[in-house]
Amino acid sequence: MRVLIVEDNDRLAKLMAEGLQRRGFSCDVAGNLTDADSAMDGAAYDAIILDLGLPDGDGIDWLGARRRAQHVAPALIVTARGALEDRVAGLDGGADDYVVKPIEIEELAARVRALLRRPGPRAQTVIEIGALSFDTAARAARYENNAIDLSRREADLLELLMRRAGTVVRRGAIEDALYSFNEPVTPNAVEAAMSRLRRKLDEAGAGGKLNTIRGIGYMLRETA
Amino acid sequence: MTHRRSVSRRLARGLGLVGLIGSILLLAAVVFFYRLSFVDLNAKQATARAINEMLEHVGLPVLVLMVPMAFVGLRVIRQAFMPLEEAAVEIEAARGHERGYRIDTSRMPAEALPFTDAVNDLLARLDDAAARQEAFAADVAHELRAPLAVLSLELDRLDHTEASRLKTDVAAMRRLIDQLMLLAQIDAATAAQLAPEAVPLTDVATDVVSLLAPGVIAAGKTIALEAGAESPIVRGRREAIAAALRNLVENAVRATPAGGAVQVFVGPGCAIRVKDQGPGLSSDRLHDLIRRHSRADHASKDGAGLGLAIVERIMAAHGGSLTTDPGARELTLRFPESS
Repeated sequence: MRVLIVEDNDRLAKLMAEGLQRRGFSCDVAGNLTDADSAMDGAAYDAIILDLGLPDGDGIDWLGARRRAQHVAPALIVTARGALEDRVAGLDGGADDYVVKPIEIEELAARVRALLRRPGPRAQTVIEIGALSFDTAARAARYENNAIDLSRREADLLELLMRRAGTVVRRGAIEDALYSFNEPVTPNAVEAAMSRLRRKLDEAGAGGKLNTIRGIGYMLRETA
Repeated sequence: MTHRRSVSRRLARGLGLVGLIGSILLLAAVVFFYRLSFVDLNAKQATARAINEMLEHVGLPVLVLMVPMAFVGLRVIRQAFMPLEEAAVEIEAARGHERGYRIDTSRMPAEALPFTDAVNDLLARLDDAAARQEAFAADVAHELRAPLAVLSLELDRLDHTEASRLKTDVAAMRRLIDQLMLLAQIDAATAAQLAPEAVPLTDVATDVVSLLAPGVIAAGKTIALEAGAESPIVRGRREAIAAALRNLVENAVRATPAGGAVQVFVGPGCAIRVKDQGPGLSSDRLHDLIRRHSRADHASKDGAGLGLAIVERIMAAHGGSLTTDPGARELTLRFPESS
């Protein structure tokens, strides 16, 4: 998976690239927006890691302009600005996610992986979280070598949780994704589907990955 | 204590002196004009006459003039100083909202204007100095992020047992920097006097718990939110309230042993409670932690840093409070009930 790092601090850019390479990404580095433009014309990237304050312009403006012109890979903003208002501006400006410096390389890698799991033209058909994999086209799940037999609704539920693995998926979001607008949702429907899915994951050996956050929703852990 | 000068007393003393000098002069005049006419009378009659004359021409006029003058003078003084007294009450009422505060000079007497204008000018300069100080702190915090990011990534490359310990220190520095930036933001927002928005507390609590849950679960602890169907709504700044709750939950997670649970309750009323499985926090200890930022011993053993001081600052800016219930192991953010 190819990632473009746009960051003007050379040392930081190099360290981020190195850390991501050790985690299986291939990385290119651009020190300014002009370099970023030529890099993007020369290759197709799966994700962009973008610093906001660059010598030849603002990362958000650049991203917005490129987004309007053509499809651009999902972007993760990395910035030293901690202002909470920046977060909103960044996400409105076309960024897909946002982290504040100083970031941990683990966190960075997890965020990039999460971006790559999002549906889109370049998205993979098979989503993998550790040994758990889900084929979005065949609607089939596997854990190591064990196939997991899922109903349509359980498959939808697993896909949703896997796409957002490592983050909390709220109950409301699950209801919206799994049940159509005029379909009645009984209060226990989500719980029931979730407990069936949990049992099937347990049987396949992927037990304990599914966490309940009472009052909020559910989370599939990224790591064991 | 030195004896303070009072305008009223000085006026009374001045009037007294004027009365005394006037009386003496009048007496002298009376003595001068009537001495010749008294010579043909005997001594006893002359004395009675003299006393009579003096009362009539000296005592009465002095009394008639001086009493109303004193009365009116004292009244004028009291009224002239009334705007100053009112301003003192208003200044006292502005406690906690000092930033950008100016004395209202519209009702001040002209004589007091140079003084109040000078005080307002001084307040403006103090605001300016505080803003520069905060901007500097924010700049420093901001500038520290890049080298800290490099440091943390360099540590990540080290395959050494000490590296993870050092990374914990970097994480603590990062937290402190975040808190410094947050403080600067809160102060900037207070100074700018942004209009408050309606904030549903349940939404804020859901956001914060969702955001922190992955870290809590990774640390082998659990977190839960208990909220009713109806969310209490308060007036304020959503991001600031979220930051306050976030600090509180992070503290609770640190205090809770592995395997323990942190619970966040919304309500009853306009309040959010955070319950942990730590040892509980006494009121005295909470007070110490809140006051810490004024004493500069930031490096705490429990890593709380400026956290609770910031929470308290945010709550004060919202007219609310941060309280502890050590028995229930709860900390409560309470907001004023908005009607």
